[in-house]
Amino acid sequence: MPFDTAPEEIGALILRVALRDRKAFDALYAATSAKLFGTCLRVLQNRAEAEEAVQEVYVKIWLKADRFAVTGQSPMTWLIAVARHHAIDRLRARREAAGGLDDAALEIRDPAPGPEAMAVAADQNRQLEGCLGELEADRASALRSAYMQGDSYAELAARHAVPLNTIRSWLRRGLMRLKECLER
Amino acid sequence: MTEPGPAQEGEDDLLAAEYALGLLPGSELAALARRLEIDPAFAKAVLAWEERFAPMAEGYLPQDLPPNVKAALDRHLFGVAGPQKAGFWANLALWRGLAAGATAALVLALVLPLQRPLPQAPSTVMASLSAEASEVHYMAVYDASTGMVRLAHLAGAVPEGQVFQLWVLQGDDAPVSLGVIPTGATARMAMDDRLRPMLTSQSHLAISLEPLGGSPTDQPSGPVVALGDLQEV
Repeated sequence: MPFDTAPEEIGALILRVALRDRKAFDALYAATSAKLFGTCLRVLQNRAEAEEAVQEVYVKIWLKADRFAVTGQSPMTWLIAVARHHAIDRLRARREAAGGLDDAALEIRDPAPGPEAMAVAADQNRQLEGCLGELEADRASALRSAYMQGDSYAELAARHAVPLNTIRSWLRRGLMRLKECLER
Repeated sequence: MTEPGPAQEGEDDLLAAEYALGLLPGSELAALARRLEIDPAFAKAVLAWEERFAPMAEGYLPQDLPPNVKAALDRHLFGVAGPQKAGFWANLALWRGLAAGATAALVLALVLPLQRPLPQAPSTVMASLSAEASEVHYMAVYDASTGMVRLAHLAGAVPEGQVFQLWVLQGDDAPVSLGVIPTGATARMAMDDRLRPMLTSQSHLAISLEPLGGSPTDQPSGPVVALGDLQEV
């Protein structure tokens, strides 16, 4: 079962990929592509586009695997960051090319932490959720949807019907408080 | 330059958080991605924020991919023979990806035409060219085996009646012109024997804004609108 692959095994696979080991690349794909596809799909909300995006993500992983070692990140965090950033780049380009916000951007997309997040009981997540819980509910929900769906300031401003600068200073204050809370 | 004070550090930390979350417009994210490559303190701040948010990634539910996705990936990456052999530069789907301004897509698009496995292509260098004060963004790939520089024009239009000129710089030496960049979303520029040895990972590329026909001197006469280090692919 792919999801049972231990983090240290994933890390070892990435390092072998950096050495251009194709078998390791195949194994890494088998172990992680469902998660990275899920990531792209959640951000892009479009299956065909997410399939294209995830291919590009693995090209990037193949080309940049040597960078992983220097980040000191956990392997899944690194892989998901590569996928998320790539999906968000595509999302921005799509919406900006469409001349602004598309309808999907303005839809209220489940601000609550979804059933999947509820099921998670990891200590780390409890700590993050605890700290998000200390923020005003709308700010915490904006930060969650920014992470999960790649929402931009512009989209959040439109959805919460507040000026761009207002949402930015709200969320910046929220981010600073979140950091303080996590470092306590 | 003044020493960065606490205010600047606070601002940088917030920018790092905004980059990690992806809250900014595409052009600003692209500029910060570029900064990430050259500013270790900023890169460290971004990593720290990614670590803070990482637990939320539990919410990304794994989804099964159709097997043809891996087949297409292998074909692209390793040149395994596949049914589709259409000319790469004419592949609209890929250029749609390129217009997305996504670095990975660019790497993909610019590397793929080599049509051979990457490990055998150490003679390829590439650069992402941009500058904080400008909207101009190009990707450039130089393939030593063909002597050709391929460019993808991603953002920042050429002002009416002017041109972009490409330069290579090594260390403290004066810039050497590689020529005026042909207009269009993609461009190819052949390098002569004098220029080829300069296109290595020890050099960087720059783009200046020039009058029609290029700089009247052998040095840039207009502002530099984008620059970037050449890196081995």
